[in-house]
Amino acid sequence: VFQGVRQAQWLTKTKLVEGLPPSVLSIVDDPAHQLEDYEERVKRVISHARLWDTTEAIPKREHYCPVLFEDLIHLCRLMSVKYPSLTKRMLARNYKIAATWERESILLQVRGLNGILMNSVAPIPPVASKEEILATEEHVLETFYPISPTIDLQEVNVYQELNSTGFRDGYPYSHPHTLFFLESANIRPNRFRPEQLRAKMLMFAFGNALAKAKVLYGNDPKALEQPIVVQSVGTDGQLFQFMVFQLNTTDLVSGDGIKNLVWIDSDQKLYEKAQCISEVKKRVVTKPAGIYGFQPDTFKKFLALYLHGTV
Amino acid sequence: AVMAAGLCRAFGALLLSAAPLRPRFSVPPLFFPPSGVAGGVLAAACRGLGGSVPRCTTNPLWKCRVKYTVRPVGMKKTGGRDHTGRIRVRGIGGGHKRRYRMIDFQRLRYEEGAPPEPFTEKVIHVRYDPCRSADIALVAGGSRKRWIIATENMQPGDIIKNSSHIGRMAVLANEGDAYPLGALPIGTLICNLESHPGKGAQYIRAAGTCGVLLRKVNGTAIVQLPSKRHMQVLETCVATVGRVSNVDHNKRVIGKAGRNRWLGKRPHTGLWHRKGGWAGRKIKPLPPMKSYVNLPRVTAQE
Repeated sequence: VFQGVRQAQWLTKTKLVEGLPPSVLSIVDDPAHQLEDYEERVKRVISHARLWDTTEAIPKREHYCPVLFEDLIHLCRLMSVKYPSLTKRMLARNYKIAATWERESILLQVRGLNGILMNSVAPIPPVASKEEILATEEHVLETFYPISPTIDLQEVNVYQELNSTGFRDGYPYSHPHTLFFLESANIRPNRFRPEQLRAKMLMFAFGNALAKAKVLYGNDPKALEQPIVVQSVGTDGQLFQFMVFQLNTTDLVSGDGIKNLVWIDSDQKLYEKAQCISEVKKRVVTKPAGIYGFQPDTFKKFLALYLHGTV
Repeated sequence: AVMAAGLCRAFGALLLSAAPLRPRFSVPPLFFPPSGVAGGVLAAACRGLGGSVPRCTTNPLWKCRVKYTVRPVGMKKTGGRDHTGRIRVRGIGGGHKRRYRMIDFQRLRYEEGAPPEPFTEKVIHVRYDPCRSADIALVAGGSRKRWIIATENMQPGDIIKNSSHIGRMAVLANEGDAYPLGALPIGTLICNLESHPGKGAQYIRAAGTCGVLLRKVNGTAIVQLPSKRHMQVLETCVATVGRVSNVDHNKRVIGKAGRNRWLGKRPHTGLWHRKGGWAGRKIKPLPPMKSYVNLPRVTAQE
């Protein structure tokens, strides 16, 4: 998308807050929520995904990105020993989302195959307080004159305004909890840049939240008393983008009134470099193979987003 | 079912797509090879292949894209050869591979569904174009993006204006704006001039060039081209204000023969032609003014 997150903000009528919300940050800092020697485990996970998992010398991004994701989810699920309600979650892949909304006389849609969704039985409680929600009323959405906000979107004739979460009614795990996006194309031009990835995360989190809201509260545009929160994590194997999106209102036609909120934490590196083959200069090993520049905070935030809602 | 045109993101991928403009290139007639060549081939076949006849080649059939796009399009080099396959222009061949970026020379191209009013656009990016000496600028306005020839001092983030309105008073034009010649004050430096309204800029496009608006005479305007030739066009023809970018292009030093080869220029013949007439200063009167205006013929009455 052209302007990145700013354009997505205008399209979804959202206000941006830098950093993660305080409820998630409190989970990050709380030592009771951590695994024992998690640093060692995460390092082993990264080495497995980036170094050991393949028969060739260097695994390709298409290969190591999903492996890394699976292992991180596995580590998070080990926490369910302490919190049994974590078992009430499931992962869904290749499901289609459809959400339609009107934004100042332009009809917009989000459709199609998503990333990987994690659903849970219970919804996440709203993150922002009532005062913060009311405070977004004064916030003015930024426009980029002379560029219209619909630049770079594909124009399609719609024959049916569809709103569906992708699951049928009566499914026990009905609330979208977290969306995961893996940028695993091999060639760089096929992958999204970080700001484009964040915009994509925002749009799909919004689509999921909106579809759920329309299922729960009907199709009329109005403000929600119980805001819906959807989280989102996007990665390309090394950089992580964390996002918490709260849907406050489905009244998106006008640009005034309360806005939705999004907290974004962008460009968190999990590790600096993963050396597959040791670098040798002049017959002397300068850099042995391994993981360099590991940052434990990124995994703590990943875990905090996973635990958010049940803790 | 609501048949409103919706804007949709499909399959988790956000695709770049500009509103479709009028076709950039007319589709070449692939189905009818030039009759002369076909006749020649047939004639050769009848005479039992007496002489060799050039067969039809596939040049320049990379130019078959109808819809405008911002992405660079791969192009095929001709090497100076025309559609028969023989060399028509000497000294062309080799050189670095280039991708063609489709430049929109018609500044006043309105978006689909937009009213024919003056509109503004924002310059996003100015970059080098391998296919020409000038730099090109990516501008975005409304819901579309396009490439245009950048003028001197065009920076990312500038706002440029395109207008077709001719007022009674001349407009103080900023550099990079596009106005019809009738709206500009005389003496302004212009570039990207068109000979007929709506045709698209064909003159003054090289790096650092500029034309001067000399005078305006009833419905026409007279412009001096960089070759000091005068040109008369209708005043509704649109031109951009300012000099073309990359002004120091003529001051660059090639430095070595290899750089010319990278540019795709093959060496000249080394034979000295005694009566070539290339040396010495040449003094010639200016050619007459070229007029692209069809004035009603003034017939002497009575």
